[in-house]
Amino acid sequence: MTKRIAIVEDEAAIRENYADVLRSQGYQVQTYANRSTATQAFNLRLPNLVILDIGLNEEYDGGFLLCQQLRAKSATLPIIFLTARDNDFDTVSGLRIGADDYLTKDISLPHLTARISALFRRQEALKQPINDEHITHSGALTVDSQRMSVTWQNKSIDLTITEFWLVHALAKHPGHVKNRTQLMSDSKIFVDDSTITSHIKRIRKKFMLNDNDFDCIETVYGMGYRWICAPKTTSNDA
Amino acid sequence: MAWVIAGYALQKQQVMTPKMVSDKRFKLRFGLRSKLFLLSSFLFIIPWFGYQYVWEMEKYLRFGQEQTLVGTARALATALHERENLFNNQASYLPNVEHGKDLYGYKLMQPVQLDGLHSDWPDFNQRTHFYHHQQQLFATEPLSLNFKASVGKYDNYLYLFFQVVDNQVIFRGKNNRSITNNDYLALSFSDSNNQLNRFIISNKKSGWISAFSIADDKNIPEPAPHIQGNWLLTPQGYNVELRVPLNNLGDNIAFAFFDVDKADGEAISAIGSADPANAESLGTIVVPSPEIERIVKGMHYTNSSIWVVDQHHRMLASAGSLKSANGVWNVKEKKLNEDERNSLWYQFKQQVLLPLYYQVLTKPSTDFIDQLYDEQYLKGSHIAKALTGKATSQWRLTTDKKALILSAAHPIFINNQVHGAVIVEETTNGIRTIRNQALEKLFTVILAIMSLGALAFSLFASRISSRIRQLSNQAELAIDKQGRIIGQMKASNSNDEIGDLSRSFTTAVNRLSEYNYYLENMSSRLSHELRTPIAVVKTSLENLSLQTEQQTKTDKNISPYIERAQTGINTLNLILTNMSEATRLEQMLSTTEKIDFDFNQLINGCILGYQQIYPKIQFTFQSNLENSKTKPFILHGSPEHIVQLIDKVISNSVEFSADNIITIELQENSHSAELFISNNGILLPEQLSDSLFDSMVSLRHKKSQEDGKKSVPHLGLGLYISRLICQFHQGKISAYNHQNPNGVTVHISLPTNV
Repeated sequence: MTKRIAIVEDEAAIRENYADVLRSQGYQVQTYANRSTATQAFNLRLPNLVILDIGLNEEYDGGFLLCQQLRAKSATLPIIFLTARDNDFDTVSGLRIGADDYLTKDISLPHLTARISALFRRQEALKQPINDEHITHSGALTVDSQRMSVTWQNKSIDLTITEFWLVHALAKHPGHVKNRTQLMSDSKIFVDDSTITSHIKRIRKKFMLNDNDFDCIETVYGMGYRWICAPKTTSNDA
Repeated sequence: MAWVIAGYALQKQQVMTPKMVSDKRFKLRFGLRSKLFLLSSFLFIIPWFGYQYVWEMEKYLRFGQEQTLVGTARALATALHERENLFNNQASYLPNVEHGKDLYGYKLMQPVQLDGLHSDWPDFNQRTHFYHHQQQLFATEPLSLNFKASVGKYDNYLYLFFQVVDNQVIFRGKNNRSITNNDYLALSFSDSNNQLNRFIISNKKSGWISAFSIADDKNIPEPAPHIQGNWLLTPQGYNVELRVPLNNLGDNIAFAFFDVDKADGEAISAIGSADPANAESLGTIVVPSPEIERIVKGMHYTNSSIWVVDQHHRMLASAGSLKSANGVWNVKEKKLNEDERNSLWYQFKQQVLLPLYYQVLTKPSTDFIDQLYDEQYLKGSHIAKALTGKATSQWRLTTDKKALILSAAHPIFINNQVHGAVIVEETTNGIRTIRNQALEKLFTVILAIMSLGALAFSLFASRISSRIRQLSNQAELAIDKQGRIIGQMKASNSNDEIGDLSRSFTTAVNRLSEYNYYLENMSSRLSHELRTPIAVVKTSLENLSLQTEQQTKTDKNISPYIERAQTGINTLNLILTNMSEATRLEQMLSTTEKIDFDFNQLINGCILGYQQIYPKIQFTFQSNLENSKTKPFILHGSPEHIVQLIDKVISNSVEFSADNIITIELQENSHSAELFISNNGILLPEQLSDSLFDSMVSLRHKKSQEDGKKSVPHLGLGLYISRLICQFHQGKISAYNHQNPNGVTVHISLPTNV
């Protein structure tokens, strides 16, 4: 079954470019130029994934509104913000109202498609029984690379795709310092240092929601970050 | 990592520290206040003007006094005009007088003791006449006699004093009948009936005189007890002091001493004022006239010193003393009662003001010394002029120049003939006292006005200058060294020019700050606006390349162009990201929480990292901390940002390092952590050292071109970001050149107790 992807973007050229790429990847793509047409269409039928721009024509926060409406309709619908706004405030707001990922428009198309497919894969994996093959244990951390989910002390941590990839990259080799460039290529984003810093901070906060004493991600000043919690038991390290 | 790093400089320039630049030559500052004071000094003209006015007033007063004095003289003269009986003595009618023969009886103020001593005669030596051979009446032998004579008048007597020098004093023999065979004095005068009375004083011994009246018709001399006196022997000769009652004394007089050198011998010579035996040859005598004196006395209430002289300059009467002759301007000082004397103002005036004033003013002296008129011959051009018939007045200084004396002289006419003159004299002390009092008051008032004026002026000037200084301080505080608007100015509410200035400043600063804000945000806004079209181009290119790949993998003509275009667009994208880096950092900093972290550990970690990143560079770390590796050095802040800051500075230093050595020095002070990062290499241009940490300042293009490196364009945001981070930590960052070897040191100062 072909996945249906909806793109809500007011800039026609970008919209069509994304649509073309996704279509060429085999997705079924619907494009909307503003919030009202998108809302009408979504009222009829929800797509499998939505790519939203925040600013829609005159509506400065149109994308956020749309995201809230969609999230109200479906808790599981993957929503990606793809926007020119790269400030921290918008990122935090976008993720807080339920987006699965927040990407800036300087992301390359292959990276975008990789992320979309990752999201679909995660969705698929959630429906399937847990396969131990893809699960890595590292101390209290459990990483399910198929479902792209992370649990800490047996509690699920809700991470975005980018965040998951960052945690994955760090936890794969505990004790090794990963510098920012490495982290960026692992998480398929290409941003400046401070964005990495804020991603790490967000990840720490998400872990701390469950475990106040969480301090497994260490900042190695001048170099990068490393996962410092030694793995007690390792299973299925295939 | 740090892609964009603002550069230092390239041109080799002479190094000057900012301090040296600001070290301007000292100039004398001529502030607003001093200018106002200078202008207000024109007020000093007012006291000068007042002083001149008082002087002018004094001139008029003097003129008035002169007129009054002349009037007084005239009035007195009027009282004496045509009063022949007052001037009826013969001397007054003489065409001229002969000294020694025509005598003048000085008025004696005190009684004289008839003792033969002249000590009780005032001014004896000046008032005597010396009789010698010129006055000899006859001489049969060489002259051995001379004498001095003085005439005085006291009460109702005429006093005569003779000081005789004689080689041989011969007294009358004990039983001599003759009274002429010895040294004797012949005295003749006319009585009131113009009859000649002749007397001979012939003594048997020194002591009380024996006077004899001689009449032509009688041969026997009769004792004349009304002539009293004393004959006193002296080493030089003898003194004779005698008195004659005035009631029977006329205007003519003569006296002569006859010298006998042998006992009972004949007179061998005689010297005298005139021949006492001859009534025709008698000289005249003038004594101060009691009648005139009575008239004059009535005038002496005018506070003047008054003299009446006859035509021969001889004083006939006088009244008043010059010392008390202040004129009608005699101002009595108001007597103050005890309360007024004790008042603060009086004390202040007496102890402070008056001594001050009398530095300038002179108190008229009543203590002056003036020449004394010879009563026998009053000198003075005004007297001479008056005696020719003209009323005159003259000013003269006393001999000690302490007082100014005004004298007026007016002639006395009898039968159209000048027979005397009235001389009135006054000091100007009265006027000077008035002037001084006027000046005292004037000075006091002026002093008060000037003090108040000066106070008001200085208050005003201080207020103005402080307002302007405040404004200037505000303006300086509103804009920092880098030209950034760091504060708002508070517009003044006052409704004057300075208020206007303040308001225009405020407006200007506000507009400037808006413009500054626009400029600072321009890069991020620009990047935001450009992002969408770039995304269009980028996605289109990627689509194109995907399609090309799918369609044919053999067509290699198109793909290089796409690749190049993609490279270009990626670079462009990078630039945009970096452009907005500063803005994003500012936003992030505003939401960043500060935590405690170990600065020491951070630095050590960073250095480890840099050694990996820049393998060619040798990093040297120095610290003044003991056990710098282990001892924690806690700072409060955002470690990630501090790292970012150090990253920027290090990468900058690396880029400009000439010898691949970078020295990092950490110093812990009581209140701050001081980090010095130095590299050797090109110096900073002097004009850039202040603005180096500003947005969009970079001078590295040349070097990049020289090196031929393919590098990311520099927007000059790196060190600007460093400054932002420093400011967030309330620290400071500065860069300066160092010599030997030449290079640049970046100094980061972070306070510990934030």
